[in-house]
Amino acid sequence: MRKKLPVPARLLLYSLLFIFTLFFLIQPRESRGGEQLRTATALVEGHSHEDIKRGERFFLGLLPFERKSASCVSCHNLTPTDTLNWNPSAMGIAVKYAGKDFAAFQSAVMQPSGKLMEEVHKNFEIQEEDLKLVKLYLDELAIAGPAAQKPTINNLLIFLFVGLLITWALLELIFFRKIKYRMIPVVILLAGLGLQLKMVVEEGIKLGRSQGYMPDQPIKFSHKVHAGDNGIDCKYCHSTVEYGKSAGIPAMELCMNCHVVVREGTHSGKFEIAKVVEANEKKIPVEWVRIHNLPDHVFFSHAQHVGVAGLDCAKCHGDVASMDVVKQVSDLSMGWCINCHRETNVKFSENHYYDNYIQLHEDLKAGKIDSVKAVQIGANDCMRCHY
Amino acid sequence: MKTYWRSIEELADPNELRREEARQEAKQKSLLLRGDERLTASSRRDFLKTLGFSLAAASIVASCRKPVEKAIPYLVKPEEITPGMANYYASTYFDGTDYGSILVKVRDGRPIKIEGNSLSPVSQQGTSARIQASVLNLYDEARFKGPLLNNNPVTWETADREISAYLDGGKGKSGKTVLLTSTIISPSTRQIIRDFISGTPKTEWIQYDASPASGMLSANKLCFGQWAIPDYRFDKARVVVSFAADFLGTWLSPVEYTKRYSAARQLRDGQKEMLRHYQIEAGMSLTGANADVRFPVKPSEEAGLVLALYNEVAKAKGARTYSGVSSSVDISGIAVDLLENKGKSVVISGSNDENIQVVVNAINQLLGNYGETLDWNTALLTRQGLDPDMERLLDDLKSGQVSALLVWDVNPVFNHPKGAEFAEAIEKLGLSVSFSERKDETSVVCKYVLPEPNYLESWNDFEPKSGIYSLAQPTIAPIFDSRPAQESLLKWMGKEQKYHEYIQKTWAEKYYPRQSVFADFRLFWNDSLQKGVFELVSPVEVQYNAEPLSLAAAKLEPVKPGVELVFYESVAMGNGKYANNPWLQELPDPVAKISWDNFAAVPVEYAAANGLKNEDVINLNGLELPVFVQPGQAKDTVSVALGYGRRVAGKVGEGIGTDLYPMLPVKNGIRSNYLENVTIEKVPGTVYELAISQTHHSMEGRPIVRETTLDEYVKNPEAGNEMRNEVLANSVTLYEKPSFNGHHWGMAVDLNSCTGCGNCAISCQAENNIQVIGKEQVRNRRIMHWIRIDRYFSESPDNPQVSFQPVMCQHCDNAPCENVCPVAATPHSEEGLNQMAYNRCVGTKYCINNCPYRVRRFNWFQYVNNNRFDYNSNSELGRMVLNPDVTVRSRGVVEKCSMCVQRIQEKKLAAKLEGRPLAEGEIQTACQQSCPGNAIVFGDLNDPESRISKLFQYKRNYHLLEELHTLPSVGYLTKVRNQA
Repeated sequence: MRKKLPVPARLLLYSLLFIFTLFFLIQPRESRGGEQLRTATALVEGHSHEDIKRGERFFLGLLPFERKSASCVSCHNLTPTDTLNWNPSAMGIAVKYAGKDFAAFQSAVMQPSGKLMEEVHKNFEIQEEDLKLVKLYLDELAIAGPAAQKPTINNLLIFLFVGLLITWALLELIFFRKIKYRMIPVVILLAGLGLQLKMVVEEGIKLGRSQGYMPDQPIKFSHKVHAGDNGIDCKYCHSTVEYGKSAGIPAMELCMNCHVVVREGTHSGKFEIAKVVEANEKKIPVEWVRIHNLPDHVFFSHAQHVGVAGLDCAKCHGDVASMDVVKQVSDLSMGWCINCHRETNVKFSENHYYDNYIQLHEDLKAGKIDSVKAVQIGANDCMRCHY
Repeated sequence: MKTYWRSIEELADPNELRREEARQEAKQKSLLLRGDERLTASSRRDFLKTLGFSLAAASIVASCRKPVEKAIPYLVKPEEITPGMANYYASTYFDGTDYGSILVKVRDGRPIKIEGNSLSPVSQQGTSARIQASVLNLYDEARFKGPLLNNNPVTWETADREISAYLDGGKGKSGKTVLLTSTIISPSTRQIIRDFISGTPKTEWIQYDASPASGMLSANKLCFGQWAIPDYRFDKARVVVSFAADFLGTWLSPVEYTKRYSAARQLRDGQKEMLRHYQIEAGMSLTGANADVRFPVKPSEEAGLVLALYNEVAKAKGARTYSGVSSSVDISGIAVDLLENKGKSVVISGSNDENIQVVVNAINQLLGNYGETLDWNTALLTRQGLDPDMERLLDDLKSGQVSALLVWDVNPVFNHPKGAEFAEAIEKLGLSVSFSERKDETSVVCKYVLPEPNYLESWNDFEPKSGIYSLAQPTIAPIFDSRPAQESLLKWMGKEQKYHEYIQKTWAEKYYPRQSVFADFRLFWNDSLQKGVFELVSPVEVQYNAEPLSLAAAKLEPVKPGVELVFYESVAMGNGKYANNPWLQELPDPVAKISWDNFAAVPVEYAAANGLKNEDVINLNGLELPVFVQPGQAKDTVSVALGYGRRVAGKVGEGIGTDLYPMLPVKNGIRSNYLENVTIEKVPGTVYELAISQTHHSMEGRPIVRETTLDEYVKNPEAGNEMRNEVLANSVTLYEKPSFNGHHWGMAVDLNSCTGCGNCAISCQAENNIQVIGKEQVRNRRIMHWIRIDRYFSESPDNPQVSFQPVMCQHCDNAPCENVCPVAATPHSEEGLNQMAYNRCVGTKYCINNCPYRVRRFNWFQYVNNNRFDYNSNSELGRMVLNPDVTVRSRGVVEKCSMCVQRIQEKKLAAKLEGRPLAEGEIQTACQQSCPGNAIVFGDLNDPESRISKLFQYKRNYHLLEELHTLPSVGYLTKVRNQA
């Protein structure tokens, strides 16, 4: 009798097992690049692993033991962060100086140019030997890429814990039978399953969505500085937003309209702006990381929403003018689209395109309706966006 | 009502066909199951295993990191480009055979679609299936990636040095240089070639037409002193008599002719008269299928018929008659008809026999057609090759008088009857250069291959008809390392000049001074380039010379006994130049509805007498070919298409069908279109499977095509469509009548204008990313075309009447497919469209089963990126043709015509941005836009003033199966035949 678990229980166990695997495998989206893992041997030729390790320690401030100035890493981040650190990242520096010799690196560190850098770097007392090791470490970094980030596992832990509870409750119900009140394991079982189900559904819905996505960009470009502090209109850079499908990423030459003069930022100094200048000089466009991604089967037009409907950019993109690092504010789900279409009024009388909606015009005139919502002119038809 | 039948099998026993179809269906289903036999005996364990596997698979999929998408801006944004918006550039298609003035749609730097140029007086916004498919030729893997010497990469510098040294007489060159080209209609190129000939020692230029009009050219030279073909104004004609000229399909300038022919047969807008069309031919051609009266005759009988017709006309006009070959068919009726329409008729012949053409010219002259329906002012120049030139060249090659051959845009090794001899001779040459853009039979025997760019990558100018010019401009930077052949020639003459500049110079010197609109050359150039066309027609004085007639009449050859093998070019494949284009390979032949093969079309009577049926194999003079029993095939004839059986073409085209060119007879240096006295033997026990789509999509004998005759129509516009009243009277419904706010899209198809040419199918394929599925799957009835052209036969199988009917999704307002979908993947839109949301579709196929029109297509496989379907979508390059505005469907979803909703959306948005109502005709669907017959009208049914609303009010209008109360948004206008 007790040799085998009854079928439903086994089914449950199986499915739980699968769901566990599922969750083990789900990992949060990495903010950018960095798939390569550090190897044990040095990638920079002619140097031992120890040298590089020493350089790393120096960069991290572990060496020398008595420092007079801050460690490199305290300003130059090794890992991407959620808040904007204006200083060049370790990776950025590494890439910039990877092809250059030590002298260039040394002069950049020891003879700082630009106001911000001068202030911090002016009291540096670093042995040339040590600096060489740092350069070595950075060269290695440029080749190997940053260390992979570990996935966050809070949700998974909770899920596993609930799973254990459920398993215990099941075992208790069928085998142990130690608790007198049978209701207790039953309640735990049901509640646990409910909680897990809720988590699965929530995670499932989130699949393919990336609300809150906030990747690091190749240039520490701040929309707050440009659109907020300096009050540049969104359409100055995203110029095709009113008549094109996409709002448009400004061409590199457009940056130079201002940056031909503005070569040093209040926050970032010269390092970041130099990237824009370099991109233009070397004719290699900057590869921005795209934040707002709609699935390929969705055909969205900015012209319809900004050009025709006159929506404010912030309606979907949030207050970009206050963001140093742009993040995806809306979840960009279909439900979100459809709800907006249900609530938003169409410029029905102003735009003569709508003249042929005769019935609606009559209803308006007769006072049967006071406004026309997007949904009433078919905005929620499948083939408005999917074809 | 007439009984329509779709094939011989159905005519014989309709019920047996239906049973056979059911059997096939069952077989398909069992095939599907066979692979998964485990499932049929599945246990709980298997269930769990499957569950486990699918969950594990799902979790792996889920665990895939979302890719980091990049947004890469322009460095310097070109002013005219808005990312995501298309630009259109006027250009020109000319492949040495067919001409078309076109607009090229360019999305983000990639040409993705061809449209017709409405400003062109030649192609008049029409295109052909081949022109539509030409955009895919640009993204062909078989194109050369760079210059080659003996199949190894070579630099341009080395090639130039070696070749020009050789051409100048160095390196032991003893014989002459021959430049072998297709017909060149580019004024600038002709100038370059003339300079090249005069500038290089011992050089000769020969033009070679793969689809020759040699007989016609020499007849016109004799009769009129003109080295050209008159402009046939079918639009001005009341009677057309065609002796085996497939002028709607493949003859000379089919797009232009179809435009004019349809205009003269359109009964819209109060027109009550229409052209009457007689066709005398052996095999059922597209043109024959559209004829009002068709005579199936052996090709050798043509001479007698032409002379008989001449004598009848001459008798009536009191001109001299000639005795000679006789005819067995009574064509006095035609003569009467022609005489009643003097100056308003056209007589043409597709024969390559100079004598027949001289007699045909004499008929037209007697009827006073020259200057009326036959115009010398705008003579056609797209055929200039003479067959005997090639014979001479072959002799010269063999005798060693030629030591260098430059082959440009022609493939004589494949499509000349003596191709094998050419190949042998070319291989022995001291220097042979091919300018071919893609690999072919001739380029592999040439030493050097100096690839020229695709026409969409190049500049060029054209003069397809005298005084009518057009320009071609590049719409993409060259994908591969190529160079215009013109620049090569210039370089070997020692001139470093870009061809683009050369064209501008030509235009500045030749045409700019002769126009009076622009005072500055740049303005003139920009205007011509933007419009794509420029006209400068000047009248020509042409004198008719009756002298050659008596000799020609005497030389006409009499009817031969025995079975005759007729060679023709198929509408899709033509002379086989673009055999590597999978779109063209999969386009079903308009009449036989067979794709991916050529076949021997045998007469019904003969097949019955000899026990032949479809897919049997016969041996024709030693060549084995699959049989297709073709209704309307003349007695004692067998027709086979040329252009198949390419040996070197690329992975798609090689080995498809059988090469018939070596069988083409050459008499006195002239290529003949038929072979006399062939022996036919059945190859017993062999079956060759053909991808016949003929019995697809059964309409089960219901009044699908409605037709009448002109006389009936004039008496009663409702003729042939009387049953509609009954249907409307009985139309009752429990449901509310559907109503649409704003727009209600509808489409009308005029069956009288549709010639069945298949342009719409390819246009739709290019616009809507429709995948090619290959012969096996077409055979399995899975062809993906969103618009199919049904072809029905009626009356006698020996000489049937043919009706064509394009069928696409009917966008029913009471759609049977919509309410059976369990996941609401196909609802109705607020604008009357039957929508298809691919991402919702789970592939139950209920909708397909419930659609009475059989227009829904199922993706049985992943057709993109799948080695089993190794066509254009299996490579990065081939996928560049995809329209980014249309989803590429994946396996397991249903798809169908969307009425080009992406175009509707685009134009609506344009109107909204400008704050104005949509204009009439602003939205054009892909099938409609380039239709050479103007058969399709699209528009807003909610606007009572729109063309579509008016057409829907016509008495000729009816809907397919409207008795089912599906309320289709597509209407058909009855077909009217102009029968005597």
